[in-house]
Amino acid sequence: MALNPAFRSGAAAGLRAFVPVSVGFIPWAIVTGIAMRSSGLDAPESIGMSLLVYAATAQLGALPLIASGAPLWLIFVTGMVLNLRFVIFSAAIAPSLREQSLPRRIVGGFLLTDNAFAVLGPRLAETRDPVWRWGYYIAPSLYGWTLWQGGVLVGVFGAGFVPADWSLEFMGTIALMAMVVPMVRSRPMLLAALVGGLGAVLLRGLPLRLGLFVAILLGIVAGFLAERWNEKRAAP
Amino acid sequence: MIEGVWLWIAFLLLAATTLLTRGSFIVIGERGQLPAVILRALRYAPAAALSALVMPDLLLAQGEVDPFNPRLFAGLAVIAVALRWRNPWLPFIIGMGVLWAVQYLLPGP
Repeated sequence: MALNPAFRSGAAAGLRAFVPVSVGFIPWAIVTGIAMRSSGLDAPESIGMSLLVYAATAQLGALPLIASGAPLWLIFVTGMVLNLRFVIFSAAIAPSLREQSLPRRIVGGFLLTDNAFAVLGPRLAETRDPVWRWGYYIAPSLYGWTLWQGGVLVGVFGAGFVPADWSLEFMGTIALMAMVVPMVRSRPMLLAALVGGLGAVLLRGLPLRLGLFVAILLGIVAGFLAERWNEKRAAP
Repeated sequence: MIEGVWLWIAFLLLAATTLLTRGSFIVIGERGQLPAVILRALRYAPAAALSALVMPDLLLAQGEVDPFNPRLFAGLAVIAVALRWRNPWLPFIIGMGVLWAVQYLLPGP
């Protein structure tokens, strides 16, 4: 399977596209590792949490709840809300992985990240060969998982050594910005980004970080309506 | 603090949220095709979502809008760099450089 030339060519192309963006993972992973230790988890618990959950926002969002002894249902609901954006990403990626077996789709689904979706999504959608597509998706996703767990280990064992005033966590934000800027090539796309971003700022007061989810939905609707309006105006 | 077995049950519940959301449509596969109009609208999801994650970090300081936030200056520099050059490392070098410079020049309270 792994020796299939189409798989290998897909894997190589996927890694070439993904590796430069993946530098942004490292600081986030380290910061997540430090945050788990500083909220009271020991090293095996922190590592176990990262291996099982593999979601920076859900991990960081659940930590205060775990530390304060919140009920399990609230931890579950918070995790769902913080992960909700991935339902949208999953729907967009699903057609590209539909030929794969169920175990592969479960592994592929678990490994889906914001970065992988943003970087790999466009070429996945326009490539025909399912074997190439699987290589293009799964190789960078496994690499991203490994890099993430490595960064978490550094954070877990290095907690207390990195001065907080270095603001290294800002590299995660830089990585997200470096992804979104080349995407904004049309006015509807710019509108989607502005509505999503300003919406998240204005709706930050909503409980359980629901504001993030609502803002993303508003951004999608705004971009889509602008596209429809552009088309209507262009038509005679 | 949640401890012992209950802590690991909490981790498993969080792992379930990861699989339920990221897996959702990928796992359903063939049976769960979305209508074309939804898929078209979803092309706007990455830009909206990434921007929704970025902008609060650039504009807010301690939960309030702060236009003199060093991260906002650094963010604007990153956007300018990303618009002009395709080098993947440059946004990190310029972004962190501007952040540290502004933090140094505009000391907080």
